[in-house]
Amino acid sequence: MTVHHHPPDELLGAFAAGTIDLGQHVAIATHLVGCAKCRGAVRAMEHVGGAVLAALPPSAMSDGSFEALQRRLDEASETSAPVQRRGRAFSDVPGLPEFLGSYPDSSWRWIAPKVHLRPIRLPEPSATRVFLLKSSPGTRMIEHTHTGFEMTCVLSGSFVHAGGQFGPGDFDLGDGSVDHDIRIDSVDDCICLVAMQGDLKLNGVLGRLLQPLIRM
Amino acid sequence: MLNETPDNETSDAARWARLIEAVAIRRDREAFAALFRHFAPRIKTLMQRSGASEQLADELAQEALFLVWSKASLFDPKSAGAAAWIFTIARNLRIDALRRQKRIPASDTSETELEFQRDEGPLPDAGVATSQIEARVRDALSLLPDEQMRVVELSFFHETAHAEIARALDIPLGTVKSRLRLAMARLRNLLDDFS
Ligand SMILES: [Zn+2]
Repeated sequence: MTVHHHPPDELLGAFAAGTIDLGQHVAIATHLVGCAKCRGAVRAMEHVGGAVLAALPPSAMSDGSFEALQRRLDEASETSAPVQRRGRAFSDVPGLPEFLGSYPDSSWRWIAPKVHLRPIRLPEPSATRVFLLKSSPGTRMIEHTHTGFEMTCVLSGSFVHAGGQFGPGDFDLGDGSVDHDIRIDSVDDCICLVAMQGDLKLNGVLGRLLQPLIRM
Repeated sequence: MLNETPDNETSDAARWARLIEAVAIRRDREAFAALFRHFAPRIKTLMQRSGASEQLADELAQEALFLVWSKASLFDPKSAGAAAWIFTIARNLRIDALRRQKRIPASDTSETELEFQRDEGPLPDAGVATSQIEARVRDALSLLPDEQMRVVELSFFHETAHAEIARALDIPLGTVKSRLRLAMARLRNLLDDFS
């Protein structure tokens, strides 16, 4: 898979620092599934985190904390294998990070001609909403604007807009200033994972009719 | 001498890796005590700067070192530096703690760890030792202008990073974003050989 469009470095840094909300985390983690370059960048940023940690001034630990910990060690068993996820949710959609497997599964629902949506319900409240979007070839996305950002990860198929062509593995970051005139140009369905903050506004008469349907 | 003498910091990094391995292989209490002495007080600082109370920060630092003990055998010195590995343990604990504060029922405490699990695939040729990567990261950081370094440091503490950094440094939000972008781009360039 050749990836052409990546998340900005500061977003990868925030991912490694653990300072973004779960909805954004899901979008970056999805990109990392298919992008070795950004996995390397995140690893490098974790090294930066280690360097920052190791260079911090120490704060004295409370009295007896080491002794208390030692007593715990006596009873501790050794963890020899990484924790494994077993859930099977969304397993029919290729390219998603494994941890989504234990989220509540959902089914595709029709939201517009040739467009289906499948919500990903996060286990914690998040300002960012996450969903899968499946569009048929030739679909033009309804003209829309949004008040917050929108992260899109292509899982299969492709689309084009003014910023270029986006295929499997590609990451597109849009904000309110971008006018999205998106066209699906692949032969097969285009499936994307979208993480979105803020309100989505559909323009035009059709858009206003559909508005209530895209609420989740 | 044929070998270059490693500088103190490089040998520190290699020493921490050896200590973690001693814990993994021999359940070495002295090695663990040395890791505790260095990292627990710094994790406590990290937690406090991230907004935790002194007591919570103390508890989280102890918990982090407990995980260093119980997960030591999972540490792979070829793919992670010791400090980076301990940082990720602390980071995940901080996220778990924030969830508990918001009373989000976690199905288990390793939730965050799973969310960060990545299938790394084949790692770049391990011709470069992890301790050298760590030294390179420190060099890269030391080459950053102070104002960018401050933003990078703070970006590792705060949950709602940008707005709080702007407040902490008393600079506009846009400046935080541009400094962070510049810093990350520079670090990325300096570190690209390894990724
Ligand atoms: Zn990438």
